[in-house]
Amino acid sequence: MMKFYIQKERLIKSVQDVMKAVASRTTIPILVGIKIDATEEGVAFTGSDSDISIKSFIPKEEDDLEIVDIVETGSIVLQARFFGEIVKKLPEAIVEIVVEDQFKTIIRSGNAEFVIHGLDAEEYPRLPQIEEEKSYTMPTDLLKTLIKQTVFAVSTSETRPILTGVNWTFANNELTAVATDSHRLALKKAPLQSNIENNSVYNIVIPGKSLNELTKVLEDSNEPIQFVVTENQILFKAKNLLFFSRLLEGKYPDTSKLVPTESNTDVKLNSKDFLQAVDRASLLAREGKNNVIKFSTLEAGTIEISSYTPEIGKVVEKVKSLAMDGEEIKISFSAKYMMDALRAIDGTEVTIYFTGAMRPFIIKSNVDESILQLLLPVRTF
Amino acid sequence: MENTWNELYNLQPTVMKLIKNALIKDRIAHAYLFEGMRGTGKKEIGLYFAKALFCLNLKDGFQPCEQCIHCQRINHGNHPDLHIVEPDGASIKKEQIHLLQQEFSKKGMESSQKFYMLIGADQMTTNAANSLLKFLEEPNQKTTAILITENIQKILPTIYSRCQHVSFKPLSKNEMIRLLVNKGVKPEKAPLYAHLTNNVEEALEMKEDEWFLQAQKIVLKLYEILSKNQLMDALLFLHSDWLSHFKERSQIDTGLDMLLYIYKDLLYIQLDSDDMLVYPDQKNDWQKNALQVSKEKLANQILAILETKKRLQSNVNGPLLMEQLLIKLQEGSNFV
Repeated sequence: MMKFYIQKERLIKSVQDVMKAVASRTTIPILVGIKIDATEEGVAFTGSDSDISIKSFIPKEEDDLEIVDIVETGSIVLQARFFGEIVKKLPEAIVEIVVEDQFKTIIRSGNAEFVIHGLDAEEYPRLPQIEEEKSYTMPTDLLKTLIKQTVFAVSTSETRPILTGVNWTFANNELTAVATDSHRLALKKAPLQSNIENNSVYNIVIPGKSLNELTKVLEDSNEPIQFVVTENQILFKAKNLLFFSRLLEGKYPDTSKLVPTESNTDVKLNSKDFLQAVDRASLLAREGKNNVIKFSTLEAGTIEISSYTPEIGKVVEKVKSLAMDGEEIKISFSAKYMMDALRAIDGTEVTIYFTGAMRPFIIKSNVDESILQLLLPVRTF
Repeated sequence: MENTWNELYNLQPTVMKLIKNALIKDRIAHAYLFEGMRGTGKKEIGLYFAKALFCLNLKDGFQPCEQCIHCQRINHGNHPDLHIVEPDGASIKKEQIHLLQQEFSKKGMESSQKFYMLIGADQMTTNAANSLLKFLEEPNQKTTAILITENIQKILPTIYSRCQHVSFKPLSKNEMIRLLVNKGVKPEKAPLYAHLTNNVEEALEMKEDEWFLQAQKIVLKLYEILSKNQLMDALLFLHSDWLSHFKERSQIDTGLDMLLYIYKDLLYIQLDSDDMLVYPDQKNDWQKNALQVSKEKLANQILAILETKKRLQSNVNGPLLMEQLLIKLQEGSNFV
């Protein structure tokens, strides 16, 4: 049996948080529910669609204010759809939740009383036990940036499921995140604080979808966030909120050899001007199949961006480079991928390093060494 | 849903031995193809197998405890690492296989092993079957697949060749009767259910089905009229009671089956094989009739019913077909 009183505002917040993980449609019947655990320390709510799970914890007291009054500890699973709607519309600031025989649950607030049929909490999937072995911390906003700068490049095709995830490699207190859909690659490095002494190198692959969800759940702050890697899942620990994601199975391809180490042509550009020029050129290119635009170097440090679609017409634009070094080059690539890459880098100046018209090229920020974007050219003739 | 080792062993001794050995010797194939008739316990044994793989307190290396959280949740369909795919409508769609594929590209939710069961694997669309092939071919570690089918001929050869086959034998009638009696069916009624279906659950449903109980009465009544050599009465009864009750083709078929068993019983009474009777409770009433009919006549009557059953499958008029049958059955006894 379970019984507790809770402040409505906190209850609504927690339920909304965990609702993000509850699937509308699921093959595992119990997952339509939200699990409630009342313990001596407070009340925890859990929602899951089996890929991601969110657990929100409300402590008994916070800043010397009582939030939850636990009369009896226990657990129950309640239908998320109804529970979410009910708590939002309760009349008073205090809510009483009681579980009686046969999972019968009573939600009481003021004069309103709901009796709903719960489900057995024993049936709910077990979240992994947290052993603090592989635990790391980094500032929340850095983690969010790291995710945003890589996750857009994951593959959306299911032919190689492993590429739908972002590969995180841990080595020497540094995290390297790599995402690729085999036409482009995004890489970002970030320093870590870790509690483990040995510097064993290992990697995990986190589904891109989960990371997108995670950025929505995390608040913008520079407070440190802790994350723990377990055998099958990764856990992010924010304040009173736990976010679990399942990992992808399989071996991530070795991407380290893809990145060229030397270049023949270096072009330094104003990021914003270049991005806008590419955007304009893509207006016509978008109609064509691949959204391909052409990039050529001219004399006197100028580059030309052009696109030609026979049925529609053509566009040519000259952009002044900030600096140019090396051989001439004519190369074609996807405008969309280029824009994604430029947006991810988010700096005022970028340098593009080409090795040849048929070779992958890299885009780097001039101030931030930790990010790298790689694009494959498109053969147009 | 809970089935003990002994129950399942009685049902399918060979299969259970195979599973037991696989578990004890830890030689579990990555994919099994369970094939056999409806009601032979394929799904139950599949679930038993799953429980044995996930159970925390396995007894003697092959018997799941039915108590731990894994066993409990498998019984209730709530285990996060067990996936059961059943035909959505008439077939298993590509999207269903697609979801399964997505599921299996990830690591387990709780454990590092995964188990999936495809019920009606023959009902996969070709598209679905081809998507399945890919991950039957390259299974991830510790994944066990069970494909269940009633029509092994309909399984794509490419899938067939990638699974270990397990044949489920149909239940013997005696075994079926014994099971039904255990479940509280009256011993004199059990043989009829055992003859009509090979599935215990289905038989128990029949026992509760109002339509079916009524059908039984009508069939017996029809025979009673026929046995009195009153063709006109029989035809009248056909129109007043029978036709309004047996409407669908499958219902007529069941009715004919029940009628057929009556004539078979008469033959058995003549042969003194009492233990083969389908309606043992009617034996005393029918004894007299049985002695008045020659074996040859009975054989002809049985043949007439079988012929009718066959013609039912083609596009014929139900009432006419039944009238014709009654006349044939009647003619037989007229010449006695």
